[in-house]
Amino acid sequence: MNATKRRNDNANQPRVKRNTRAGQSASFVDLVKLHRRIARDSASRLLQTPASSLVTLFVVAVALLLPALLFGLNSNLASLLAGFQNSAQVTLYLQDSVSEADGEEISNDLLTRNDIENAYYVSPSQALDEFGASSGLEDLLTEMTANPLPGAIVLTPSDVSSVAVDELARQLQKLSQVDVVQIDSLWLQRLAAISNLVSAIGRVLAVIVILGLFFVVGNTIKLAIENRKAEILVIKLVGGSDMYAARPFLYTGLLYGLGGGVLATLLQGIVLATFNSNLEVLMRLYESDFQLRGFGLMSSLLIIVAGATVGWTAALMASLRHIRAINP
Amino acid sequence: MIKFDNVSKRYADGQEALSDISFEVSRGEFAFITGHSGAGKSTLLNLILAIQTPSSGQLIANGVNLNRVSTSQIARHRRQIGTVFQNHQLLHDRSVYDNVALPLEICGYQPNDAARRVRAALDKVGLLNKEKSFPDALSGGEQQRVGIARAVVNRPSIILADEPTGNLDPALSAEVMKIFQQFQSVGVCLLVASHDAALIERLNCRTIVLEGGKLLADQKPRPQA
Repeated sequence: MNATKRRNDNANQPRVKRNTRAGQSASFVDLVKLHRRIARDSASRLLQTPASSLVTLFVVAVALLLPALLFGLNSNLASLLAGFQNSAQVTLYLQDSVSEADGEEISNDLLTRNDIENAYYVSPSQALDEFGASSGLEDLLTEMTANPLPGAIVLTPSDVSSVAVDELARQLQKLSQVDVVQIDSLWLQRLAAISNLVSAIGRVLAVIVILGLFFVVGNTIKLAIENRKAEILVIKLVGGSDMYAARPFLYTGLLYGLGGGVLATLLQGIVLATFNSNLEVLMRLYESDFQLRGFGLMSSLLIIVAGATVGWTAALMASLRHIRAINP
Repeated sequence: MIKFDNVSKRYADGQEALSDISFEVSRGEFAFITGHSGAGKSTLLNLILAIQTPSSGQLIANGVNLNRVSTSQIARHRRQIGTVFQNHQLLHDRSVYDNVALPLEICGYQPNDAARRVRAALDKVGLLNKEKSFPDALSGGEQQRVGIARAVVNRPSIILADEPTGNLDPALSAEVMKIFQQFQSVGVCLLVASHDAALIERLNCRTIVLEGGKLLADQKPRPQA
């Protein structure tokens, strides 16, 4: 308060010594106002050249969209897998010598293990009935003199990850009464491996895209700096630092990143809607009501924040490099 | 305040723009630099602004050794110097007000404080009614006065001026010199490159005469009668 008053008193008087440390006399609110003005100025400059700004915005959006779609589809695949994973089953085919009573007992023993969620015994005759019912070959089967099917224990592991299921299968194989252990979720594991591959591709693509964005935004900023070379020169002549001169360009980069991110989330909505109408037909054939989900609020925010971060950082690197090269 | 000690400036092509210049200008001193075009006046001002660095000799301005300065030091150094450029160096997409406010914005002044200083500076050069105009709408003389307002708005400790009255009529020239003298009276060090012989004669200031990059004469003001 005192300092302000003193400055007011001699505002019109020339004075030799004064502190010229930047930012010292401006309050936080003033700084926010200043930045808001620079941001508005950067935005209005983008609007002055709507066509080229829009092209850059679309390039940024499409670049963000590609890995985002891949991650999105993969998370859909993962959730689809999760639905099936609860039904992961391991079937123990028992030796022919094991009686029904022994089979029941083994099944009950297995239930006490905490890595097994559920287990039930299927006797050879039950198995034959089920097979007959599901295959429609009952008549044929009644003519058979001996039952070729072994007794079996069907169990659901409590941990359905492929590592845990494999380990469980390995342990159960050691039981003397067990003939063959069959994991019914092998196809599930294959699908999970594919899902992992897709997400690995997504990560590589994301890295490539970020590098590409650095190039696109950096080049756009470079052109903008070329166009405002005279202005930067004047700013430097009256004592503006490189960082001061870079500020408007940082906002330009930030706006490209933000706008590109928002556009990318809108585009993915359109893409998913297109997929869903086709998927619905397919899924109806499979009697499923599965639908592709959008990115969700968090993922959308993540895309926008990622875009803004890349835009700002690319602008920072480009502008400091090119502004440093401009000298009176 | 400004001290040249055997300073020479040679360009890459071997041409010597300044050779072995030594002089000192102290606080509150008003000195003209004069000489034909090509005598080295602009080079001398460029050295003080750290636009160029001396090839040899030592140059200290405002306590800063200009032989060795970092980029950030240069920016800080220039904030202490008000410069009137021969070609004005105004921003053509900003209003007169914003042009004059630029040094204050760079230093991070409060908007209210800055507004008062900008209006005071514009008032001094008689352009208060043009604060919303853009430089392109102004005459050469008016643009020059905007440049002068921008040079003094930050109340620098050194004012450099390259032909500040080149586009001004005698009455306005006298007005500008009066502003400069006001700053001189509060201890600002002024170095003005000019070849307006009549003006220099009338103001009776110290005059440094350059010729072909050499210091030809360093005339002290005549004793007042």
